[in-house]
Amino acid sequence: MIEIEGLKKKFGHNEVLKGINMHVEKGEIISILGPSGSGKTTLLRCLNYLESPDEGQIVIDDVLINAHKVNKKDIYQLRKKSAMVFQAYNLFQHKTVLQNVMEGLVVVQKKSVNEAKEKALEVLQKVGLKNKIDAYPSQLSGGQQQRVGIARALALNPEVILFDEPTSALDPELVGEVLEVIAKIAREGKTMIIVTHEMNFAREISDRIIFMDNGVVIEEGIPQQIFTEQKEERTRQFLKRMTPELDYSI
Amino acid sequence: MTIDYSFIWVAFKEILKAVPLTLVLTFVPIVIGFLIGLAVALIRAYNIKFLSQIANFYVSFFRGTPAIMHIMVIYFGFPILLDYLIKVFNLPFQSNNVPIVLFVITALTLTAGSYLSEIIRSGISSVSKGQIEAAYTIGMNTFQVVKRIVLPQALAQSVPNITNLIIGFLHTTSIAFLVSQKEITGAANIVASKNLKFLEAFIAAGIIYWVITLIIEALLYFMEKKAKSYSRNAF
Amino acid sequence: MGKAFDPILIIEFLPTLIKYLGVTLEIVFFSMIFGTIIGIIVALPKLFHIPIVRQIVTLYISFIRGTPILIQLFLVYYGLPALLSIWNIDITRMDALYFVIITYSLSHGAIFAEIFRGAIQAIDIGQTEAAYSIGMKPLQSFFRIVLPQAIRIAFPNMANSIIGSLKDTSLAFTIGVMDMMGRGETLISSTAHALEVYISLSIVYYVIVLVFEKIFKISERYFNRYQPHGISSI
Repeated sequence: MIEIEGLKKKFGHNEVLKGINMHVEKGEIISILGPSGSGKTTLLRCLNYLESPDEGQIVIDDVLINAHKVNKKDIYQLRKKSAMVFQAYNLFQHKTVLQNVMEGLVVVQKKSVNEAKEKALEVLQKVGLKNKIDAYPSQLSGGQQQRVGIARALALNPEVILFDEPTSALDPELVGEVLEVIAKIAREGKTMIIVTHEMNFAREISDRIIFMDNGVVIEEGIPQQIFTEQKEERTRQFLKRMTPELDYSI
Repeated sequence: MTIDYSFIWVAFKEILKAVPLTLVLTFVPIVIGFLIGLAVALIRAYNIKFLSQIANFYVSFFRGTPAIMHIMVIYFGFPILLDYLIKVFNLPFQSNNVPIVLFVITALTLTAGSYLSEIIRSGISSVSKGQIEAAYTIGMNTFQVVKRIVLPQALAQSVPNITNLIIGFLHTTSIAFLVSQKEITGAANIVASKNLKFLEAFIAAGIIYWVITLIIEALLYFMEKKAKSYSRNAF
Repeated sequence: MGKAFDPILIIEFLPTLIKYLGVTLEIVFFSMIFGTIIGIIVALPKLFHIPIVRQIVTLYISFIRGTPILIQLFLVYYGLPALLSIWNIDITRMDALYFVIITYSLSHGAIFAEIFRGAIQAIDIGQTEAAYSIGMKPLQSFFRIVLPQAIRIAFPNMANSIIGSLKDTSLAFTIGVMDMMGRGETLISSTAHALEVYISLSIVYYVIVLVFEKIFKISERYFNRYQPHGISSI
């Protein structure tokens, strides 16, 4: 359902993505791992065209974008196929929890206010925040804010949800509640691409793991294979550094 | 109606002579006003009773009325007050001997004091409570806390606002021409009336103000950077 | 230097002066409206880095911020007729009030432009990204997400600016506008009680400023309803 071919992106002279190829099936849950600066976040942002790639092709469902001939209409079409959950939540500060979730439904999907509200309440129930619908983001904890961020993405019913390090801005004791919500959505069969540093979580939840370093995909495979029988030295080094610290499980 | 470009230059040279008075009217009130502002800000921050009510009214009133009122009220009011005192105490001089510029400076000083007190107060409130408590816990007394902990940070914090105030004051001095001071605007007005070339004279005056503003801004920007590096070292 | 000081006159002058408050508020009101429009137009070239226009706009803002309002007033009063006479338009008989409104609008336009630009740039880029990520277009994102938040940030500065402009109207009389201050000047000519007139005027200005401040404080609370309490502005 998602097909990425030869994706390249440069910032100045720094080549962050050096030709990424990737394939994601419908309903698949993919975790992208790798050291910071490896290009994981940039890859994710390219999928949503928050960064425009210099070269390559992205297909999500029936929308195809080629970096050489993009037009605005295609970008909007592509964005409608996906939704993003940000590291810094990026909730609309001037809107309540309910309004944050309704915003895209009303403005982009042109749903009626009643319909949007019904949908918003449904997803807020799912993330466990139905009692906070009238709160403003500044009145919520980080974990609650991120759950609203997830609800905002989920409400749009996108083909794929992109998670950009959803828990790395959170206090350790708040990580669990967010991972729990992500796992719950995963069980419902939503296609997801997750950039994360939570190794245990990635291992348990993912159908497939992609390991990136220095702008290229080093290795990919099922969690079992990546975590225990990695083929590449770089993957092993990275996991050795990361795994002793992991202690958050779900 | 045409513009006499060569007269702009003539006026420019004439008005340039008035720059020192403009600078005096700008900086003397700021410097004295700073001391007033500091005192008033501390009175209000520490909520000293009775005095803080007067301080509140002073700040609110002077910030709530146009500076031209301060100049006019003092320009017309001071001589009356002075004459009264002279009569009561039988003093050997007259109020018309006091140069008008002193009235203007007095008025602008009071104006500056009110604005500066607000600036310093917001600087003081930006200093975290924790630091003040920490200073007390290591045994400092209130005076030491104010002098060593609160004020250095509060003033460093105030520098950008003071920059804006100085520029604002440079421009405010233009109203001194209404009480026949020969500062930049007054000088422009005289040159203009003599030659009936108003536009040219005010263009020249505008350029002079503009250039002084840019110079002051550049200087203060430089000082601000210094103050920042100081504050990094100090805390 | 006038007659003996008579405090009673301060009260007696008040009603005469307040009758002209309307003209003062008219200047404030119209220069705010036009100033806001100019401010938005002028902020755009800097926000979107449009070459040449951006430099011109920067020069305009620098000039306004670099000169006293009094000089700007004189420049418009003497300069605008000269400029328009090139196209044979004669405005020398135009009411002085219009010159004041034009000057103050131009002046506020420059200051508002800087306030708007600062406020818009203060909004975290993540807000725009989030708007894009849920499929919004740039204009939708700007008007629904960025602008409402920018207004909150800009508001305290705009409020200060409006109060400043109220006080600045006291200079309009220098080109012959019959506002509160202008009426005060004629009162001085006819009664020779300058001090009383100026005290009276101060009282009126002070009260109006206090009323404005009150209104702004209430509005600010409304704008800040989604902020944690206690933080009024950035």
